[in-house]
Amino acid sequence: MSRTSTLLCLALVLAACDPVVDDAVAALGPEDPNVRRGPLHRPGQPCLLCHDGSLGNPQRFTVAGTVFQKSGNRVAADGVVVQFTDANAQRANITTNAAGNFYATPSQYDPTFPLQVILNTSGGFVRMQTQIAGNGTTEPNGACASCHFDPAGADSPGHVCVTLDDGGTPP
Amino acid sequence: MLRTLVILVAVALAACSAPPFDSRYVPQSLPDQASFPDVAELLVVRCGSLDCHGKVGRNLRLYGSAGLRLSPADRPVGPCHDTAAEDDQDYESVVGLEPEVMSAVVSGGGAHPEQLTMVRKARGTEAHKGGQIWSQGDASDRCVTTWLAGKADAKSCQAGVQAGLPTATPSCP
Repeated sequence: MSRTSTLLCLALVLAACDPVVDDAVAALGPEDPNVRRGPLHRPGQPCLLCHDGSLGNPQRFTVAGTVFQKSGNRVAADGVVVQFTDANAQRANITTNAAGNFYATPSQYDPTFPLQVILNTSGGFVRMQTQIAGNGTTEPNGACASCHFDPAGADSPGHVCVTLDDGGTPP
Repeated sequence: MLRTLVILVAVALAACSAPPFDSRYVPQSLPDQASFPDVAELLVVRCGSLDCHGKVGRNLRLYGSAGLRLSPADRPVGPCHDTAAEDDQDYESVVGLEPEVMSAVVSGGGAHPEQLTMVRKARGTEAHKGGQIWSQGDASDRCVTTWLAGKADAKSCQAGVQAGLPTATPSCP
């Protein structure tokens, strides 16, 4: 093997290793044994942590997340239309599946941040009051759960939902 | 014995030769804190979302209604106004980023705000993961530069806030 090839291999190996991301992925825990890997798996988790397009990782998503029914439960909200509008006014409507999950690949929607988001349900709509700036935490942003995690607190609004427990509209 | 005595006197004199405690500090020129809440609101809306500077790990850490809250009892967007305590923390965060440069800019009447990294990053003239946030001379930029020059222009700050809000954002009750 030539020296160039060796260096190239070494560079690829190093590029694939990010201990911070590795730790974050490990903290998510194992797959639910009752759910196959696929569109219904890992609801509520930060999708782009793995779906980042890195070497050996699953297909890259640009935006992805999970919508639940209420702030106080984690029951999937199926059939919610998640409407994104990017900085160039490019829109995408993505419908949640039976797990409440939704996602888009770069060929489906490759937005320019910041994004505005509206959840459209049969009963009305919920507009996110702030923008998704997309400037990165551990994973590329576009994954709702990187900011919307449980428990709700000073640093998180809690999981994405269409209705508050008191019947109100989430901010 | 005499030699020892001379050494002891020399040591004693050396110990007293340091300048008085207070004179070791050069007074810093700080920007106006009274008009800072207008600037804080702008920074929180334009820069302080949970995925940007609304994170505890950032050097420029911003607390406010659009992102990270200071009180554990508060939630993002609830309450939807920044609190006075959050404004105070944001002020400390901003003036503490580059204290010497900040002092130089303020004592120079804000004539060269671009000396501050924060200003350059927002204008996009220096590498910034969030990209260019505003342009030199626009309302948001005027909000910050007038503040550095003496007193923030509230109208510019408000216009900058509006430019950063999603359309049809409901106002605070």
